[in-house]
Amino acid sequence: MFFVYELIVRTLQQPFPASPAEACSPLHPSHKRAQNHRCVREQEHRCFKQLPSSTSSTMSAGDPTSADTIDLSWEVRANNRCFHQQQHRRSFLCFTWGKYADNAVRSYKYSPLTFLPLTLYEQFQRVANIYFLFMVTLQCVPAISTLPWYTTMLPLLTVLSVRGLRDLVDDLARRRSDLQINQRQCDILTTQGFTSVQWRDVCVGDILRLSKDQIIPADMVLLCTSEPHSLCYVETSDIDGETNLKFRQALEVTHQELSSEPIEPTLLAFDGCVRCQQPNSHLHSFKGMLDWRGEHHLLDTKHILLRGTVLRNTDVAYGLTIYTGADCKILQNCGQLTVKTTRVERILNRVVFGIVLLLLMVSLLLAVGAGIFEAQVAPRSEVLASVGAGKTPAYRAFLTFWGYVILLSPAMPMSLYISFEVVHVIHSLLIGWDLDLYDPGSDTPAQARSTALNEELGQVGYLLSDKTGTLTENRLLFRQCCIAGVLYGLSQSHTHILRLPLALHWNPFSCGGLQFSDQHLVDRLHDPGCSEVREFFTALALCHTVMAEWKDGAPVYQAASPDEEALVGMARELGWVFISRTRDSMTLSELGHVHNYQLLALLDFTSERRRMSVVVRDSHGRLKLYCKGADIVILERLRPDCPHRESTERSLELYAQGCLRTLCVAVRPVPEELWEEWSHTLVKAAIMAQCSSMLDTLYDTMERELTLLGVTAIEDRLQDGVPDTIATLRQAGIKVWVLTGDKRETAVNIGYACRLLDPDTRLLQGEELRQLLESPDPEAILNNSKRKDKGEEHSISTLVITGPELAELEEQPGWDEHFMALSKLCQSVLCCRMTPGQKAGVVQLVRKHTSAVTMAIGDGANDVNMIKTAHIGVGLSGVEGSQAVQNADFSLSKFHFLRKLLLVHGRWSYRRISAFLLYFLYKTSAFALVHVWFAFYNGFSAQPMYENWFITLYTVMYTAIPVQCLAIFEQVLNHVSLFSGVQDVSAEGSMRWPELYQVGLKQQLFNWCQLVLTLLYSVYTSMVLFFLPFGVVYLSTFDFQAFAVTVATAAVFSTMTEVREEESRKVNQ
Amino acid sequence: MKTQETTSRPDNTAFTQQRLPAWQPVLSAGIVIPGFLFIGLAFIGIGIGLFITSQSIQVLERDYTGTGSSSACSNCVSSNISCFCQLNFSLSALFPGPVFFYYGLSNYYQNVRKYGVSRDDEQLWGDVSKSPCSTCGPYQYSQNMTIAPCGAIANSMFNDSFTLYQLVNMTKKTVPLDGKGIAWWTDYSIKFRNPTEVYGSLAAAFNGTVKPVNWAKPVYDLDPSNPANNGFLNQDFLVWMRTAALPDFWKLYRRINAGDYVSGLPAGNYTLEIQYNYPVADFGRKSVIFTNVAWMGARNSFLGIAYLVMGFLCVVMSMVMLIVYAKFNTPGEDS
Repeated sequence: MFFVYELIVRTLQQPFPASPAEACSPLHPSHKRAQNHRCVREQEHRCFKQLPSSTSSTMSAGDPTSADTIDLSWEVRANNRCFHQQQHRRSFLCFTWGKYADNAVRSYKYSPLTFLPLTLYEQFQRVANIYFLFMVTLQCVPAISTLPWYTTMLPLLTVLSVRGLRDLVDDLARRRSDLQINQRQCDILTTQGFTSVQWRDVCVGDILRLSKDQIIPADMVLLCTSEPHSLCYVETSDIDGETNLKFRQALEVTHQELSSEPIEPTLLAFDGCVRCQQPNSHLHSFKGMLDWRGEHHLLDTKHILLRGTVLRNTDVAYGLTIYTGADCKILQNCGQLTVKTTRVERILNRVVFGIVLLLLMVSLLLAVGAGIFEAQVAPRSEVLASVGAGKTPAYRAFLTFWGYVILLSPAMPMSLYISFEVVHVIHSLLIGWDLDLYDPGSDTPAQARSTALNEELGQVGYLLSDKTGTLTENRLLFRQCCIAGVLYGLSQSHTHILRLPLALHWNPFSCGGLQFSDQHLVDRLHDPGCSEVREFFTALALCHTVMAEWKDGAPVYQAASPDEEALVGMARELGWVFISRTRDSMTLSELGHVHNYQLLALLDFTSERRRMSVVVRDSHGRLKLYCKGADIVILERLRPDCPHRESTERSLELYAQGCLRTLCVAVRPVPEELWEEWSHTLVKAAIMAQCSSMLDTLYDTMERELTLLGVTAIEDRLQDGVPDTIATLRQAGIKVWVLTGDKRETAVNIGYACRLLDPDTRLLQGEELRQLLESPDPEAILNNSKRKDKGEEHSISTLVITGPELAELEEQPGWDEHFMALSKLCQSVLCCRMTPGQKAGVVQLVRKHTSAVTMAIGDGANDVNMIKTAHIGVGLSGVEGSQAVQNADFSLSKFHFLRKLLLVHGRWSYRRISAFLLYFLYKTSAFALVHVWFAFYNGFSAQPMYENWFITLYTVMYTAIPVQCLAIFEQVLNHVSLFSGVQDVSAEGSMRWPELYQVGLKQQLFNWCQLVLTLLYSVYTSMVLFFLPFGVVYLSTFDFQAFAVTVATAAVFSTMTEVREEESRKVNQ
Repeated sequence: MKTQETTSRPDNTAFTQQRLPAWQPVLSAGIVIPGFLFIGLAFIGIGIGLFITSQSIQVLERDYTGTGSSSACSNCVSSNISCFCQLNFSLSALFPGPVFFYYGLSNYYQNVRKYGVSRDDEQLWGDVSKSPCSTCGPYQYSQNMTIAPCGAIANSMFNDSFTLYQLVNMTKKTVPLDGKGIAWWTDYSIKFRNPTEVYGSLAAAFNGTVKPVNWAKPVYDLDPSNPANNGFLNQDFLVWMRTAALPDFWKLYRRINAGDYVSGLPAGNYTLEIQYNYPVADFGRKSVIFTNVAWMGARNSFLGIAYLVMGFLCVVMSMVMLIVYAKFNTPGEDS
């Protein structure tokens, strides 16, 4: 208690520290507690004092006003631990106070004190658990307890403790991994120089030394590095899945003032104060201000090192910690995983609700019967009147009602939920165990990361697939190019004639791996007269964000996109070698001659812009802008009299037909005065608050008047077995949609290549599509036009829509219904040029307008959104990092594994789980409903038909194993078909007859009709179970116990036999 | 060895690859139609056997509630004290033995839950010193003393008694009634037990307890003629304590298997002398039943009829299927 009191006092004292004013120096970690109170009052107000007196600003734009518009209330003082520690965040139970979190990660949920209440709270969020708790409570009331308390209490306790233990184990694992992270070492600046401490001891305001390949422990402002201009590189793959390196740079002022040798005293004397935004989750935005020596310096994203990123290609970097622990951007981003439930489970929940309601109603009716019996029959018999204990019939009926509620509750037993989960887990394991889903190449088996979605695999109606890396291999090969209207590289149909690799021995940097052989181009390159070809290659070698690392005398390229890597690699093979880059220069070796280019600006690639550019000054002092991007954006930015335009467009068409990815390369000589003016505006724009849209327009003004250099064509190979898989899935009745960021032509060609589209498919696109969508009855028009076009009805069409068109459509009200209605008439839908957000939007659209199960499959970080949105997300463990897999419900290593996953595992899971649930409900209701019939012969007195232990053990023991076996091992070996007699429908058969999958699509095995039939059947069974022995027992000496045992035995035997029947019945559906 | 450890290749076993041996019956016409026919015929056979046996069992039931025109003992209905009455019947032929003598009660809800739990199994196991459990209420205590046996079941024990005479030459000849071994063996030997006798006296063992309110005699004095048949192990008491399943039931009273009556009750006139104690007229009826048994137990035509109906249904179904099969058979389906 004293501790709490102390904390409160300390919190209250915060604004006016009563501690003695002493010199506060950066602390040695081991002294930090002792020196907690030694703080300087002058330093306390350092930042505030400086604010009004800010007369000079280092920023040329000179607009502290723009910074003032943002809330910069987060204050960090360098080398001033005591200031931050006073506002150290603490928490007790659910109360939290203080401002600055410490740097320890606490992903665990429970403490010894809170474990029990928290885990119980979580578990009782499930309606089923509350229901069972209610039953237990009822059973503990002696007046109505028709069943002893242990019938429900024991299973409930088991479930609660097993789940609780599982949570506890998970939590302990989290604690361990937290500890592992928290105990990582880093170098912190103290009075004794840099000392190694654990991550958790890092505090806001500390200055850290980071070395090469170290993971950054907290969000920091970069102060200086060992590199020129205090540049450094970070890898952000853990944050956004992008594997390319990004550069960060320190402020000019800190670079100049702090990077003098020896560095430690300089850093120790650094007393800047950073004011920035409150901790938030925006990874790609940061606004802040460094106040130092009376000057304000604006800080933005490029000065920030985020926790979780890795320092690369930089020996040492120094940074000032600004956000620690839970305040870090990456930790602010850790969202809760949404728990997906399957449709079967949702139906089941509603069924359970329905059954409970039904039981309540039946109990009510029986209670009415009891009331009548108590009023009419019981008073006449002295015996019955005496056991009635003088209560009114109404009261007795009330008690009877609850008595029957308890008695009938085994119709909806606890063990259903337990078994259901066990079955799910085993089905997931079976997926992971399947050798056919194991890829020996990458040594990865399939993995069911979510164990609750198996039966949904058997009901997938829409498969929304990414293209790159999913349908295609994402191993890009440079195939052809078109420079100044001339095509190089033979078209694929001729490659087998000239397969001779190019002789590249003259090039010392060649590493091989080029799948391009056109001696003609090499000859042109060596011809100094061919300036266009040389310019084209210079553009390829300059216009990229690739980082070069030298290993064994050859450059190894690290690129953001595989396209870039392929292009820069191709340029290297043919003699235009990109050697290195610094922040503002790039070095090329052009056929052995080393040239330096001054890098003036890099206009980054974004998915909206779909292009990137560099502005460079070559060794002759000429300014040039090289631009590379999607054909459509480049072509519209060409100067009007640009040569080779038509021929290039023709080649683009040609490449698109050959399923090649194309990029256009263009150049613009930039006049000095234009550059002067533009760069000036750029600096201004860079410091504005809403700079991103402004930057886009600014970039746009520069990327104009381009001269087309050429087109590159890259082949993206289809993965193994993709056409077959897609054809099979289509046969199975699954609608396959392709969502890609690529352009329309490529998407359509891939569509043909992977047999998503038939050769005679009609494409609905552009204006025609728009008209169809705007018409009130697209179906009629479609049918009409079909007849007109082909004269036959069964011609098929495919919707092709692009991202911009979709964005335009979204503004019209009611478009989505039209779109979905139209898409249902089509064979497939291709969505091209989609942003990740739009991909998820399309999934959402399908989910909203159909009741079908959607499955999204993808491999890259851009598919994560879609994977999370769909009912089932499948991640391919491919080239593009593990982001998709991390967020997916199932992970596969090859696209064609999908066939077995859906057609075999999905189909089986669906069949097994449907059979399991129906049978389970059947056996428990048949068992419990006997009480209803018995009620008519025992005066509605809630007399149990069975022994107590039999009721307890019926579901968990007597009838448990067969139903589990049914749910785990059941396979349909033979399928009786009307046409070809008995067929083998084992795993191979399921794939050979994909039509069988439609059973799941149409929800034929688990739907309301089936449920009602099952329940009716159980009513019938319970009548047989009761009335057959009743006929024998009637007017005989059979006593109650013998009767009970007879009925119980009959119940066990008949429900057991029914397992067999259940299977046979399913076979013939 | 090392490569095996590092690889994550799944095991190639029958279980993990779902290749466990499996069998599935194919329910084709060739199996189903003969199957149904066979089951139907078997059921018909069993049904005929059961039905004929059941018909051969003789039952003689006489109501003696005392209300209604044909009922005997109308003199005793309104009497509150013990009352004697007579029930006469004649047999035209030998009633083959062994003859079982039951009493039957109807509309008597021995299976009402509150009634069924109104007993104390520990007390009935010989522990009379403990206080009876609460389910026994309102028959736990009487005169501040424990009731033994407590509870509503015991309190409501059937207490009519019967003596059977054959009229031979106008003289009454007592038919010996055997009351031994009419209770279940498990009840007699396991579930029920008398308290340990004190100085050889069972009455002393029940010291500190009182008889149930409705009883005339204490439990240790139920059968004055046979000291061994007293206490909780009294056969009639055991029979009563095993509650009936349904509101209308029979309970075994005696067996007739001694003396001249080993082979059954010979033809002639009989008089059943009833000591009428048990009031049922307000809610139900009571009767006496003489019957003999066969291998299937007491007379019950229901089981035979049920088998016959099911058997006929099966045969009819197989016929219908045969016709459908013959008419709509497709060549591919006859495997």
